[in-house]
Amino acid sequence: MINLKENKVLRIILLTLASLAALLFVFVFVIYMVPGIQEMKGTRLTRMLSDPELKKEQSYKKQTSQLTRDVQRLSKKYASFTSGQSYIVINTTDNRFFLYKNKKLIREGFCSSGSYTMLKTEGERKWIFKTPKGKYWIQGKITSPVWRRPDWAFVEEGLPIPPENHPSRYEYGVLGDYAMSIGDGYLIHGTLYKRFLGMPVTHGCVRLNDEDLEAIYNTLSIGSKVYIF
Amino acid sequence: METPEILDNTEKKKLSSGNLILIFAGALLLIFLIFYSIMASMAPARKLKEIETSYGVKHDSEEKTDERLFTDSAYVSLLREKSFLQSKIAMAGTDSIYMTLNIPDSTAHLEISGVSVHSVKISEMRISKILRTGNNYAIQTMLASPMTIASYIATIKKEPLMIKMAPKDTSEFKPDVIPDTTDYEPVNYILDMDNGLRIYVYQEVADSANSDRNNLFFFDLNDRLKNTWQSMKSVTSFKVPEYHPFIKIRVPKADAKIMYRAIPRKGQIAVYI
Repeated sequence: MINLKENKVLRIILLTLASLAALLFVFVFVIYMVPGIQEMKGTRLTRMLSDPELKKEQSYKKQTSQLTRDVQRLSKKYASFTSGQSYIVINTTDNRFFLYKNKKLIREGFCSSGSYTMLKTEGERKWIFKTPKGKYWIQGKITSPVWRRPDWAFVEEGLPIPPENHPSRYEYGVLGDYAMSIGDGYLIHGTLYKRFLGMPVTHGCVRLNDEDLEAIYNTLSIGSKVYIF
Repeated sequence: METPEILDNTEKKKLSSGNLILIFAGALLLIFLIFYSIMASMAPARKLKEIETSYGVKHDSEEKTDERLFTDSAYVSLLREKSFLQSKIAMAGTDSIYMTLNIPDSTAHLEISGVSVHSVKISEMRISKILRTGNNYAIQTMLASPMTIASYIATIKKEPLMIKMAPKDTSEFKPDVIPDTTDYEPVNYILDMDNGLRIYVYQEVADSANSDRNNLFFFDLNDRLKNTWQSMKSVTSFKVPEYHPFIKIRVPKADAKIMYRAIPRKGQIAVYI
């Protein structure tokens, strides 16, 4: 009787283990092996050839030369998108800039871009501080820029919002010696907070150190492209 | 002496009926597995047929096309180049950021209006067999138009937005502290394209980075489970499951993050295979 009971327990244990192993096999099979099978041979595939007879045919020569012309035309068209004009590339993830002249990189360094902060008030007003991405161009160049503080600059500090053109809205010397506008109120300018360069801390503008700002200001002209990603 | 023998016989009967149930269940499972495997292995061929129907040579057209051309390596190489350029030109016409994948060069690029703004070296890649060796004309025609991201899943946020409540007055105002820019998040994502293609971007994992490796394992497992579940649903209703041709690339973590954050939600991608 004891032997029979022991056998039964052993049998149950073995069956449980076998079932678990079977389940594991099924799991691995459907999750890993079936996708593997899908990538194995069996699908109707094309074999690449280099048939010398085909190459001698007139129609082959005609088709290939037409295709070569198409590729040349398209390559030219694609190359025409990049002009020799100076441009700047701004990487908002790494907070770095790259300045190009005649398609060559002439300067690179750190910058600060939007902090991805959403400032909310109890009155449901909100602002998102991020640098826009895509293609922009220099729309204006300013020396000794003055910062006209928008509403959020007061809201952020818990200050009452003054009327439009109130003297408290104007701050001198905080944007550095130069500023370049890229539209919608976004600027490339200098900063007092140089220790934050390389970090996402701004309200959407792009901040640079004094030397980089000057070099960029002198290299880019109105209409120069600004690529932000 | 009679009783144990009777008990023994009853046990034997119970066990043998238990065995029968097990054998039956096992056989059923085996049949299902075989059926599932057959149906799943038919999926790539069906997808290729779909691509051929949508993008292949139209035999009803007036002009006869010599299909031997599409097996000629020199011709196909030009065809690939043309498709890639066509796709890139279509995207360069916009002001948006787009991505190009150059498989032969093992590079990925972020571009804006034809200007390459960021280049990435791909350290590892895997591509669906049907993309590599399927009907060249159909595949290249499909790739001649940029693909648009239909949906995506990722281990990082597209925009790491932080919400800050405005202080009620100056006493509540606290100046901003230096942001935490530590790169601790694993970066893996899957882009589902509008033409059914899937692009997997996985970060490179250093030998010592166990947490990154584990995260990638579970991210991959989760994707496999989702796909298997979809396939199971199709197979149980006697349909060939959906197959998504894929491109899996592995790039440095920082680059994977840059690419993901740069490309718009409905961004476009061109592939050169």
